[in-house]
Amino acid sequence: MSNERTPAAVSTLFSTLHERAKELSCIYRVEEILSSYDTPLEEVFRRVIEALPPGWQFPECCRVRIVFGSEVYESPDYEETPHVLSADIRVQDTSAGRITVCYSKPTPESDCGPFLSGEVKLIQTVAERLGQFILHQRLRQMYSEMSGEKREVPDDNKGWRIALALLRNTDPNLFIRISRKMMNYLGWRGVPEARPLLRRYVENRDPEGVFGESNLPQEKESLERFFHLGEETFRIASANLTDEEILGRIQKWTSEERSSSSVKVLENVYASLNDVLESMRRIKRIMPEGIDLPRATANSVRVALIRRFFTEQLEFINIAKKYLDLEDFFDLVGRIVFPSGSHGKLGGKTAGLFLASRVLRQAARRVKAIGTVKKPKTWYITSDTLLVFTQYNNLEEASEQKYKDIEEVRQEYPHLVQVFKNCTFPPEIVKGLSLALDDFGDVPLIVRSSSLLEDRLGTAFAGKYKSLFLANQGDKKERLEALLDAVAEVYASIFSPDPIQYRTERGLLDFHEEMGIMIQAVVGRKVGKYFFPAYAGVAFSRNEFRWSPRIRREDGLLRLVSGLGTRAVDRLSDDYPVLVAPGKPNLRVNVSTDEVIRYSPTKIDVIDLEKNCFTTLPIRDVLREAGADYPALNRVLSIYRDGLLQRPMGLATDFTRDDVIVTFDGLISGTPFMSQLEAILKTLETALGVPVDIEFAHDGEDFYLLQCRPQSQSLEESAMEIPAGVPDKSVLFTADKYISNGRVSDITHIVYVDPDSYGEIAALEDLMAVGQAVGRLNKLLPRRQFILMGPGRWGSRGDIKLGVRVTYSEISNAAMLIEVARKKGNYVPDVSFGTHFFQDLVESGIRYLPLYPDDPGARFNEAFLLGSPNKLAELLPEFAGLAGTLRVIDVPGATGGKVLQVLMNSEREQAIALFGEPGAAARVQAGSAAACSTDRDEHSCWRLQMAEQIALQCDAQRWGVKAMYAFGSAVIGTAGPDSEIGLVVHYDGRTQHRKELEIWLQAWSLALAEIVHLRTGYRAGGLLDVQYVTGDGLAGEKPISAKLKVPPESVRELPLSRS
Amino acid sequence: MAVKGFNPYEMAQKQFDSVAGLLELDQATRDLLRKPLREYHFSIPVRMDDGSVRVFLGFRCQHNDARGPCKGGIRFHPQETIDTVRALSMWMTWKCAVVDIPLGGGKGGVVCDPHDLSPREQERLCRGWVRAVAQDVGHLRDVPAPDVMTSPQHMLWMLDEFEAIHGAKYPGFITGKPVGMGGSLGRTEATGYGLIFTVREALKELGLDIAKTQAAVQGFGNVAQYAIQLYTKLGGKVVCVSCWDQADQTSYTYRKKSGVSLEELLAITDRFGGIDKAKAQALEYERLDGNAWIEQDVDILLPCALENQINAETVKRIAARVKVIGEGANGPTTPEADAVLKERGIFVIPDFLANAGGVTCSYFEQVQCNTNYFWPKEEVLAKLDEKMTSAFRSVCELARTRKLFMRDAAYVISVSRVASACKDRGWT
Repeated sequence: MSNERTPAAVSTLFSTLHERAKELSCIYRVEEILSSYDTPLEEVFRRVIEALPPGWQFPECCRVRIVFGSEVYESPDYEETPHVLSADIRVQDTSAGRITVCYSKPTPESDCGPFLSGEVKLIQTVAERLGQFILHQRLRQMYSEMSGEKREVPDDNKGWRIALALLRNTDPNLFIRISRKMMNYLGWRGVPEARPLLRRYVENRDPEGVFGESNLPQEKESLERFFHLGEETFRIASANLTDEEILGRIQKWTSEERSSSSVKVLENVYASLNDVLESMRRIKRIMPEGIDLPRATANSVRVALIRRFFTEQLEFINIAKKYLDLEDFFDLVGRIVFPSGSHGKLGGKTAGLFLASRVLRQAARRVKAIGTVKKPKTWYITSDTLLVFTQYNNLEEASEQKYKDIEEVRQEYPHLVQVFKNCTFPPEIVKGLSLALDDFGDVPLIVRSSSLLEDRLGTAFAGKYKSLFLANQGDKKERLEALLDAVAEVYASIFSPDPIQYRTERGLLDFHEEMGIMIQAVVGRKVGKYFFPAYAGVAFSRNEFRWSPRIRREDGLLRLVSGLGTRAVDRLSDDYPVLVAPGKPNLRVNVSTDEVIRYSPTKIDVIDLEKNCFTTLPIRDVLREAGADYPALNRVLSIYRDGLLQRPMGLATDFTRDDVIVTFDGLISGTPFMSQLEAILKTLETALGVPVDIEFAHDGEDFYLLQCRPQSQSLEESAMEIPAGVPDKSVLFTADKYISNGRVSDITHIVYVDPDSYGEIAALEDLMAVGQAVGRLNKLLPRRQFILMGPGRWGSRGDIKLGVRVTYSEISNAAMLIEVARKKGNYVPDVSFGTHFFQDLVESGIRYLPLYPDDPGARFNEAFLLGSPNKLAELLPEFAGLAGTLRVIDVPGATGGKVLQVLMNSEREQAIALFGEPGAAARVQAGSAAACSTDRDEHSCWRLQMAEQIALQCDAQRWGVKAMYAFGSAVIGTAGPDSEIGLVVHYDGRTQHRKELEIWLQAWSLALAEIVHLRTGYRAGGLLDVQYVTGDGLAGEKPISAKLKVPPESVRELPLSRS
Repeated sequence: MAVKGFNPYEMAQKQFDSVAGLLELDQATRDLLRKPLREYHFSIPVRMDDGSVRVFLGFRCQHNDARGPCKGGIRFHPQETIDTVRALSMWMTWKCAVVDIPLGGGKGGVVCDPHDLSPREQERLCRGWVRAVAQDVGHLRDVPAPDVMTSPQHMLWMLDEFEAIHGAKYPGFITGKPVGMGGSLGRTEATGYGLIFTVREALKELGLDIAKTQAAVQGFGNVAQYAIQLYTKLGGKVVCVSCWDQADQTSYTYRKKSGVSLEELLAITDRFGGIDKAKAQALEYERLDGNAWIEQDVDILLPCALENQINAETVKRIAARVKVIGEGANGPTTPEADAVLKERGIFVIPDFLANAGGVTCSYFEQVQCNTNYFWPKEEVLAKLDEKMTSAFRSVCELARTRKLFMRDAAYVISVSRVASACKDRGWT
């Protein structure tokens, strides 16, 4: 693959790949021959000689010879030529023979003479494997002799001696180590003769007994001396121990030693990934039945592997070492793509998933409900591959990206993505991915980032990097290109502005971020021309959105969708997932048939196998097209008929005529799925010690775990520290029931419906008017900076007295909805938990809190709510009559510039609303070191400056501009990154002037919007909200603010240029 | 608990008192009709899913059964009060009487929030409710129906329990059942068609040819859709409909001066009556403000969506040409606006007459169940036409002869029908 990807380059690539494939299949053949240790050596050599030539570039003239000891084996017409390649067959570090390959006639020049570099490696590998095979055969023979003798001549006390002698001859080092072990063993057993001998083992090393303090180099010890000591040791042993005991010991120690060299590599943090994987392969080969390591060694290997593959994070290691066994890691071997000399890791996402699936597997033995939890087939790319990739393509500067201005990052990112996508991968990576594709076949794939920062315990780094779906259709070449393309794009996302900004905010910028990649087979079925799972979703072990007082936080929360889970992960603006609390699956958010239908999912994410892409479709269309193929249909759908939602029976669904609704009724009430999910969440939370969230998919038959991480805790949704000892005057209220986690900050306005006064309204029209006025305020007040407080059940369609009658659109801009339950006599009315628009609240992030002011211990600053100036008449003169009931409080106005902040902590079941300085939010944030960089003041300041610039640069004379005003959030100081700049232009009213002004201001508006986009990522069609007034419209007695129906402090006159 | 402020029961009584004054009813009749004949208050113990027992408070009010078995819904509401149930049962008496069907008025409820109950718990609650009143309700005594937060499913559970207790099949015990389980055909069409039957009669009354009239419709739900269907079939032209746009969280009016096509619009409408903005524009519908429907230059306004749409402010925008308002929705006109309409001489078909097609069809369901013989849809709709037409004519004639506004005439006619039934029975 060259930058240009010319056909010639591609063809070279594929011929190279072809050679690699030949070499690999040659290795496979050799492995097959070596798989049976019963084959006599002679036979093995003969078969290897036949197997090798097809792996070479010119098989027809390739000949092989193997020399072993005095024996020679060779191809029939072997003849020594100058075109030779050979390698030593080494057994225990001594040459035992040699394997040679030669071409019988001259061939074109290549990497090493006529040979490819891959071929050089190949012959070395074959030689190494033959060496291992021979060693293994020898050891086996030794063992069978040892145990054979034991059986046949039980009385012969020389059984172990033969083994020992054999050992001494074949593996002197092992002999010495075993002797030493026996010596220690005798010492521990308290055998008196052993003590002087023990001293002799060390006496030469440290004559003064102060080993370590001598500056003299130690003498080299002779092998002979140790042999001698060994024999002495075993002489004492035979006098003190039974023969059986001695033989048993020797067997145990040799077996431990057999794997120890490989184990040592595993423990060595400095060994390259290749060596580690090779050692693991070797261990597996030697001991397919599993390894029985001493406890301490096993522990140290386990920890070493966790560190090597996953993370250095101690919290993770402490947990993981309890659940992961050496064997578990074998799963990874053979599915990792990495550059040579790699020391990379697999990243957080992989680690989380790997650990979770082991935890569940272990727990499933005790907890039946967990059932079978599968993991999709996965390949991994190590994190340092990104580094190699950038170096290979000379992209080192990319790593400086994170230190640039965020605007610059944002501006450059689209180009950077293109550059990355046009890069080439190092051949070893291409080869690895090609193997991966062969392994996957043509099932759709998802390429997911698995960076070192992602999903670590303690930092949620949710969804910041890309995950890409691949339909993976077409011929191998196309599929490989698409896969490489996707990997490059995921790589580029590490340099995208959002994660960089996020890292800046959390002080993680200097963390050396590397990104591993997971390539997973997408879970699902083929349905018509589409591919998707029956259902998928996200589940949280803690429920932060309880819709009934009967639901506890521990009951968890599930967002369930049909098709790919992408729709469950994000909050949706145009659709709804089905919400269920796995611990209380029968308490549904939506109860009436109307609600169930209104809030049922209508769209589905699928992979279109024909168009080779990921797409979103109306569920009805998919069902009409291929409904009969839909997996587990009766668990997913209900049929609506005559006001009744029914679960479909058998095969009776008619997709063209029936009104099908996604309800998951069958799944929820007819299967153990909810108890399975509950058990999974509980098990994982207990094992990992933190609330978790998981992603999963179900293909109709099996449950697949796709991801597991600590429950995402964005700043706005994590547990807040509730300050103690706040003086009464700074508190608006406290609450201690049904609290969720999170905070709502920088509230500038409170809309308060006084429960007493509301209860006394006699006329239905006046009750309705309260709702209408709230709807109007919703459009006037700054978005997400006001809270609604009022009695009982908001939005109820029943008795209007029980709560303010509003629809979701009438509260859609509020930051929070607070239902106040005031005691009446001895009875406290219910609150609704926002059920009437619960799902809308969830999807738009509006927080909900029920308040019980009359509970003992509750603080409720009614004096502030009733005593502060009411802005209602000013804002909505036509509703002035409601001022006794409906109060609009301007918080900074009433408190001397302070704003309101609500802090909630569900673990402690406490919430507090307190007045504080604007922007103070970040300072009271619990447990977070980082402060928020997006300071609202900054947004307001900049907007006001820009407004001033516009006024100064406006040619007032030419366009008859008499005055200009800024109004709204920029003036109040509450503008956010997406706020508009409100401008009022007072001009002479001439049409021509208006036209020109409009064009000029439109240009400003677009330009400013572009700047905002670069600075913050928010995109808007324009940034200016301009109102034009003419004539004397503003010269009257009424202040401008009254005319605009906004508070006076939210308007400021701008100086015009007088030139 | 002393109730201050808005009280629906007091409001219903006040309304009755004023009609009773008009009719010069004697004190005994007034005393009888001001209150329900019978009220049942009972406790319903329900075994919850976790094994515990919760006790719910249930009601049934039978306001008056002089004209026939009581009829009225069952509400599940967390803050249900007996006064609400009383008021609603009284309104049912008047509603059945105005269309002259032989039924009285009833209402029931349970203080509960179904959002806090699992489906199984709701089933037990439904069965518990029936057990408590099984001896005092039934197809010949009192016939419940779905209402706030109750559905056909709840009705089937209740029916099943009732039949188990009485050891026989009584499909006429309850209405609102699905077709095939004792439900009636034509129910979906009933309210919309009923509205247009009365509009058709009103136009006759005013001497207008329906084929030369134009209408503006607010709402595009079930009622509006069937109203448009029948009105268009009769030759009328609908120039605009308004509907809620979920994506924009606001309502729009879609206008086509040459007349909207129901089929065309239905093809681009979601199940909640939301019209696809872009596709509507592609079909050359003008998209106007959601309130624009009221100011159209048409002969007929059909508010079929929400309460209080014609109020003191919007009533001023009604075009001079408008002659008839058919109240498809419940309570679309505020009293202030009503006064203006009276003054302008606009013919208002009051909601409880105009949208009585629904309750009439419930009556048909019950009749069919009692005879265990189910009519084809055409027959249901033909009978509906007959009922609605004759109901309209009686109200209209009273309005004409006694110079009453239609809304008052409707009340007067229903109260007098009930009052005379009581007298005939020798109750008062």
